[in-house]
Amino acid sequence: MGVRMRRPIARAEKSCPPAVPPLKRAALGWLRGIVLVAMMAAAGRAAADDALARLHARGTLRWGGDMQGGEPYVFQDPRDRRRLAGFEVEIADALARRLEVRAEFAQNDWQTLIPSLERGDFDVALNGIEVTPARRARVAFTRPYFAFTETLVVRREDGSVHGLGDLRGERVGTLEGSLALDLVRAAPGVEAVLYEGVEEPYLDLERGRLRAVLLDNIIAGRYALPRATLRAVGTVGEGVYAIAVRPDEPELLRAVDGALAAVMGDGELRRILERWHLWDARQATLAGAAAPSAEAAAAAGTLAYLPLFLRGAGFTVVISVLAMALAIAGGLVLSVARRYGGPVVAAAAGVYVELFRGTPVLLQLYVLYYGLAPVLTLDAFTAAVVGLGLNYAAYESELYRAGLEAVPLGQSEAALALGMSRWLALRRIVLPQALRVALPGMANDFIALLKDSSLVSVITVVELTKQMTITAVDVRGWLGPGILCAALYLAMSYPLARLARRLERRLAPAPA
Amino acid sequence: MNVVTTRGLHTRRGATEVLRGIDLEVRGGEVVAVVGPSGSGKTTLLRALNYLTPFTAGEVEIAGHALRPGMSERADAEALRAVRTRVGMVFQSFNLFPHLTALQNVTEAPRRVLGLDAAAAEARGRALLARVGLAEHAGAYPQTLSGGQQQRVAIARALAMEPVVMLFDEPTSALDPRLVGEVLAVVGDLASAGQTMVIVTHEIAFARRVADRVIVLVGGRIVESGTAAEVLERPQAAETRALLGR
Repeated sequence: MGVRMRRPIARAEKSCPPAVPPLKRAALGWLRGIVLVAMMAAAGRAAADDALARLHARGTLRWGGDMQGGEPYVFQDPRDRRRLAGFEVEIADALARRLEVRAEFAQNDWQTLIPSLERGDFDVALNGIEVTPARRARVAFTRPYFAFTETLVVRREDGSVHGLGDLRGERVGTLEGSLALDLVRAAPGVEAVLYEGVEEPYLDLERGRLRAVLLDNIIAGRYALPRATLRAVGTVGEGVYAIAVRPDEPELLRAVDGALAAVMGDGELRRILERWHLWDARQATLAGAAAPSAEAAAAAGTLAYLPLFLRGAGFTVVISVLAMALAIAGGLVLSVARRYGGPVVAAAAGVYVELFRGTPVLLQLYVLYYGLAPVLTLDAFTAAVVGLGLNYAAYESELYRAGLEAVPLGQSEAALALGMSRWLALRRIVLPQALRVALPGMANDFIALLKDSSLVSVITVVELTKQMTITAVDVRGWLGPGILCAALYLAMSYPLARLARRLERRLAPAPA
Repeated sequence: MNVVTTRGLHTRRGATEVLRGIDLEVRGGEVVAVVGPSGSGKTTLLRALNYLTPFTAGEVEIAGHALRPGMSERADAEALRAVRTRVGMVFQSFNLFPHLTALQNVTEAPRRVLGLDAAAAEARGRALLARVGLAEHAGAYPQTLSGGQQQRVAIARALAMEPVVMLFDEPTSALDPRLVGEVLAVVGDLASAGQTMVIVTHEIAFARRVADRVIVLVGGRIVESGTAAEVLERPQAAETRALLGR
């Protein structure tokens, strides 16, 4: 698996999916009435009782997974990119055969598999979903099909780490929404650093940005241990993968669980796992395990997370302010270079602007943080500020260019006629006027930057939006955290919007 | 002694020749008015004197410095600055700096170009604003002043550099007729005080009153030149008579 790319738009969609956990439905009855009517109709409570009939009528078992999760779970077959490969693909095929339907894969971000299952995007979620109390409170699980351990990995020369207890005050990488994250969080004084892909944490461990990485043994086996620079120090916990089903479709749960029992009973699961070199003694003990019981754990209220949200908002503000300062300085240099530089300098500045405006800021952040890591190892915070600053500098420079063009030629002529140098005329006479023209646009850009700063979560910075997605998993709902998150963004951007409007009004009559 | 001398001055805009060989001499303390129909090259001649408009042939000696064709703002920045520091210019559309007060407009160049300290620059600025009758408007921004007041600030701004020659480019053309008088009065005072000036103007009566010499420019050439009385009372060239409506 390579570096994961996601378009910003996809993130925006992901940020606030209209999913509500069953637990909260009663309390949010009126809201459901307004917001969720259409969704409910589509997702189909009506169809809940005969989910199995639905499957047979359609002739497919739609199973949700994330092919970016990589080898060996679900991934594009390197020999034929149109086909999927992975041990879970084979399990899904085996289950479908038992249910006398065809397996149909539905691509979905791993972090949002459960909400998407609840929305009714697919029949089951099957993609290394760890059975945790939090998840059991939301969805129903079949019996487990794989038993894993959590493997702690450090740099080869690091001899002083033997377990999570040795990592107080250290940064430990893991995946968002994983059991490993729960373990890292439970260890006192350990700072969890969250990733969305399975390769990046090990890259950062190699670069020294992390002290250790805790992830499932399958991931460690495929992505960490082949690296000569890394080694496993041991097993920190264990868990199981199971198939998630909507809790109001018990018939489907029984059918899928029965099919899984059959696949396990006749040795097909073992053959699949052996083919993928995943079979070990631990798997043998699963044979007798039944479907785990669904005991609900109480969800904490969203407001209990307010301090964490405020901390996230603090990061959002600090990153945005620093990035904007960089963008303003960079934008000034670029715009002056384009207007007053020689042909070579002006062309170079033009290429910079088109390059940074014409490619996604997300891509730029990835390249800056992971791509340049072999030559330039920036910490995540610095990379976030520099990445956003370099990107926004391109936009600022265009604003200033427009501002410079709005200043009448007579202004610089009057300055030159007084004996000012071109630089002095620019600095004292032309730029102050150009900036006044650009000011409202700059305020707008800053508001946009506040929101774009959510993109830096892909390089492990936990700002406001990231905090929202983390909390959504913890409280098993997106609506509360989503509203709190939106309220904090508005609290930051609305005063700025007012300021921008006031500036526009004040500067509206162009200076004579 | 001449403050301004041009010989064979040519300029072109695109393929069109604008000035076609101008020979001009302005002595110290002399006031020269340049008159002529629109498009005759009056403004171009004035702007060529401090090289705001480059010339293609000929030569200019002004305030003890020589200008030559093909100079560039970048390569000859120092030479051009040396000239412009000694030559004041007043524009038709004022070109005051809108983000600075009247006083700051006047003190900016003495401070940043001549290196005067803040107190000295302010003293000079206030004295000049008083001289143009705007002492009480020192803190006003240009947008809040009338056209006549703005042009008087612009004159003070140019005078603050203590120029050896002042160039006026139609200083009253952009003004409401009832505001023309206050600007001409200031220019007239400067003339009485012995300031060397070249004034491009349409105000024939004003030229007759303040100018020592009048030059008539038509089609990029000087068609007539002499004392104000000679040229304006007894015009010789047909073009001059047409201009004067006789």
